[in-house]
Amino acid sequence: MNATLNAHMQAIARAVGRMRAQPLATCLSIAVIAIAILLPLGLYVLFDNVVNAASQLNTEPNVNVYLELATSDQEAKDIEKKLRAHSNSAQVTFVPREAALADMRKRANLSDLLADIDTNPLPHAFSIKLRSFEMSILEAMRKDTLSIPKVETVTMDFEWAKQLTRFARFIEHLVMLLGGLLGAAVLFVVGNTIRLQMLTQKDEIVVARLIGAPRRFVLRPFLYFGALQGALAGLLAVAATLGIGLWVGGEVNAFVASYGGNFFTQGPSFQQSLSVITVAGIMGWLGALISVSMYWRQIETSR
Amino acid sequence: MITFSSVSKRYANGYEALKGISLTIENGEIVVVTGHSGAGKSTLLRLAAGIEFASTGNVLVNNQNLAQLKETGISVLRQNLGLVFQDHKLLFDRNVFGNAALPLEIAGFTRIEIGKRVRAALDKVGLLNREKADLVSLSGGEQQRLCIARAIVNRPSILIADEPTGNLDQAYAATILDLFRSFNQVGVTILLSTHDGSGLEHLKCRRVELEHGVIVR
Repeated sequence: MNATLNAHMQAIARAVGRMRAQPLATCLSIAVIAIAILLPLGLYVLFDNVVNAASQLNTEPNVNVYLELATSDQEAKDIEKKLRAHSNSAQVTFVPREAALADMRKRANLSDLLADIDTNPLPHAFSIKLRSFEMSILEAMRKDTLSIPKVETVTMDFEWAKQLTRFARFIEHLVMLLGGLLGAAVLFVVGNTIRLQMLTQKDEIVVARLIGAPRRFVLRPFLYFGALQGALAGLLAVAATLGIGLWVGGEVNAFVASYGGNFFTQGPSFQQSLSVITVAGIMGWLGALISVSMYWRQIETSR
Repeated sequence: MITFSSVSKRYANGYEALKGISLTIENGEIVVVTGHSGAGKSTLLRLAAGIEFASTGNVLVNNQNLAQLKETGISVLRQNLGLVFQDHKLLFDRNVFGNAALPLEIAGFTRIEIGKRVRAALDKVGLLNREKADLVSLSGGEQQRLCIARAIVNRPSILIADEPTGNLDQAYAATILDLFRSFNQVGVTILLSTHDGSGLEHLKCRRVELEHGVIVR
């Protein structure tokens, strides 16, 4: 156990030693990988912030439920209980027909029109704020509500919700696509760095193999090098994203505030940052593994 | 103990370097393989070290048939051998200490243990005061001694040396052979090759002469 741990510690020390031996080349490689990570990460964070801002700007689609004109106050209370019990209802507001008419009368352009009407033409209504905007849940809710006796009409801001969902999916796909492409870029950058390292370390590899170094002894430092490079690039990308967030955050907050929002721009969370660094480290390790697998035979045959 | 049983070695280009060699090197023995350039000396030593493998016949080192060992087994075998190469195979981006320490790093020793063992090996070959020196500042003889230090740092039971005195003047060659004698006195089996056999008069050893891949004496 101690020998294995010692071997890994030595491999890490050798990987760090190689980084320190070529500081400029190492920094450049890390910067290139960090930029590759920064693009999808930045886009993701931007999307996350936009969704967050949209939710705070009070633009959620409400569901409006209109009852039949002949519905009594007691029946309306019973319906309200049922609406409140629905799993997708966050808040249910009752709008009595009298209040609705009074509200209409206040509007200057409608008061004249309503002055000649003897009876109240407006029904009791409910305005429901939602927990989820998933299309399937909204559709199910519409059906459930219409099945309640005395409910005449249910209106929903479907188009808005559909557009938001489509936009979210588009951004999600874009982030995934960019993430995939730039993940491949990370593999290539790390792979190329490791290939160059293997070529410059060829003598040491050959001599070490001749005097009994097992394959793992030779390969481990390259794998750790790749993983460290990836993880450091991930850390740099997270730091850059946070920095950019702070830089533009003030302007964005002011812009959102002008629309009545109380929004504060946020960078990636601690968990998201940790995930980015871990995934970048794994990608670096993978790039190194691919590279050493490709060039190992070439070096072995040169012994 | 090293045993060659009817060993032949034919390279991919068709050249047959060894033809039906049978030879046993007992524990604690010094065997010197002589012969002209191209006689097959280096091939014989590389077969004993598991760097190359026999085309036919068997090579046994400490009763292990090298042809039957897997990659890990070969690595372990080589870690337990001391290998001195004709062209030294030293690493010029490491200093004297770093070169001698390589086998111990491979074996997974701690830094403290590596320090002790490397200094002991460098002391044996007279390079202790040059442990921090770069290789470019070493003479040919010093480089050869460093190569020997690297070979003995793991305290091997068998030392295989290919032309260890090849490019050295007589005085240096005598020093190197004295070193081998001292290792043999503590029980190390030694298999070495030399192209002319000069300077071996004072070395109590068995001589094997190769010619065109065949033992002639």
